[in-house]
Amino acid sequence: MAYYILKRLLAMIPTLLGVAVLIFVLLRIVPGDVVEARYLGQGSQFQSQELMDLERKKLGLDQPLWTQFTTWMAGLARLDFGLSMWTGSPITEEIKLRFALSLQLAIMASIFAQLLAIPLGILAALKQDTWVDYAVRVFSIAGLAMPSFWLGILMILTMLIVFKWVPPMVFTPLWVNPWENLAQLIWPALAVGYRYSAVGTRMMRSAMLEVLREDYIRTARAKGLWLKLILARHALKNAILPVLTVMSLEFAFLLGGLVVTEQVFNLNGLGMLFVEAIARRDYTLTQALVMLVATFFLIVNFVVDIAYAWLDPRIRYR
Amino acid sequence: MAVTPQTVEELTRAEPRRAGWIGAVLDFIRQRPLGAIGGGIILVMVAVAATAGLLAPYNPLENDYAAMLSAPNRDHWLGTDAHGRDVLTRILYGSRTALMVGLGASLIGAVFGALIGVGSAYFGGRVDLVVQRIMDVFFAFPVIILALAVVAILGTGVGNVILAIATPMVPRCARVVRSSALAVREMPYVDAARAAGFGHRRIILRHMLPNVMAPLLIMATAFLGEAILLESSLSFLGLGVQEPTAAWGLMLRGAAVEFAESAPWMAIFPGLAISLAVFGFNLLGDSLRDALDPRLRTQ
Repeated sequence: MAYYILKRLLAMIPTLLGVAVLIFVLLRIVPGDVVEARYLGQGSQFQSQELMDLERKKLGLDQPLWTQFTTWMAGLARLDFGLSMWTGSPITEEIKLRFALSLQLAIMASIFAQLLAIPLGILAALKQDTWVDYAVRVFSIAGLAMPSFWLGILMILTMLIVFKWVPPMVFTPLWVNPWENLAQLIWPALAVGYRYSAVGTRMMRSAMLEVLREDYIRTARAKGLWLKLILARHALKNAILPVLTVMSLEFAFLLGGLVVTEQVFNLNGLGMLFVEAIARRDYTLTQALVMLVATFFLIVNFVVDIAYAWLDPRIRYR
Repeated sequence: MAVTPQTVEELTRAEPRRAGWIGAVLDFIRQRPLGAIGGGIILVMVAVAATAGLLAPYNPLENDYAAMLSAPNRDHWLGTDAHGRDVLTRILYGSRTALMVGLGASLIGAVFGALIGVGSAYFGGRVDLVVQRIMDVFFAFPVIILALAVVAILGTGVGNVILAIATPMVPRCARVVRSSALAVREMPYVDAARAAGFGHRRIILRHMLPNVMAPLLIMATAFLGEAILLESSLSFLGLGVQEPTAAWGLMLRGAAVEFAESAPWMAIFPGLAISLAVFGFNLLGDSLRDALDPRLRTQ
């Protein structure tokens, strides 16, 4: 087991290196850099070339690509993301504030999604091919079909028209005023969580259907066990594994999905930061964000695999 | 011209096969009503896209400044937007953009994904290992982030958006196709083809690719809905299809949010169109998977 964990951890390194090379090259293929984005973007076409060159030199953009890459890699190895090319402040600082917001949103969305997905999935499986099953399936497919930003717009609209109230547009951290913080984040969390729950509901339904056909369930029924007990003790325990897998894998992608939702609710999270960083050609910041998301995704993937082996002895001893 | 036995056989076989095809469709509708509903929605969407010029009451680009932000009424069934353009007309024309991006991205993604997947499985060994590691790198990006990165390089516009959406699809397709192709590679007919001295290209294209079409088609159908959703997200962010092209995600951007309270029709109807289209493709994709995937059928 320890050997397996070590092997999996080491296997992440080449993948992350690949991600780093890919994003580094991708960013530099694009014509225009942060200096152009800043000076030409302000409408003045007459910035002197010397000034721009000076600026590039300050940012290290005049260095050969190879040097730029190794400098960045050396920084990464020390967990130092460097300075944002646009604001000039340390990237760790830039990300720290926003990460809290996005993470809280992602956690709230996933709690909501699980509260919805697990009961609905079980219900649909138990009532397979009845109108209950069809209703749950339509509800979950609709969740996959509705763009979360549209759902967000509809929520804001409903609140405006019905309650004459909009969620506050200035972010309040949880530790400053928990009530206000929740009142603000609950809506985007619902908008994102609905889509997220759809994935879980479908998985829960099909896993449950599969487990219900197993011999041990028939045995339990033949013993005359109470149905609720069979479900809780025998079925759910076995059916929940794939659901948790799918949902944790989706969790990493949730951070990406927030890109659009944060825009609707005007939340200054990682998603918003990413769109800004791309628009400003802020190489260092974009690279840092991509590396962060990729690492997060790989770690979640890894933890899921380990947890799976730990929870399911059949896999562990194979 | 003499009628050879072979052509007679073909002629007699043609009729029942056609009936069988219709029969298969009828069976599908009977057995999978949800899938049939999805198929119906898609048919309507295709019909609307094909006849948008005839159906639409106005020109999608025409500004009627006298009727800016007017609520749904007899002249403008779904109201007008901030530029005085008819919302219904733009939704009808928007189906063209959605279908074009969806089909384009799925096609490109499926073709490249299939070639990479089959090639990787066929050559195996070190080639397979390297290809899989490269695919792993692409898998580490959330879909929308990869699409955004590609848009940042290529720029916006319909063609670039298609490429941006196809990019995250390629590794996903390649992975699915590879796993089926690994089984196909061990089939006797592939050995036979190799023994007959056919080249790699011929074996891959003529012998292996046709036999991994089923999972590929299922993937592509499922991805169509997702591609439409992704296109609307990119357009909504302002990084997808650009004005004045009629696109659903674009219609939800800017004024639709700013004037949401006074002109909610601008925000409601395009979103409804996106949801309905994606809903249709998802329903059909799900049912197709259940009907075609033999693993699920035996259960």
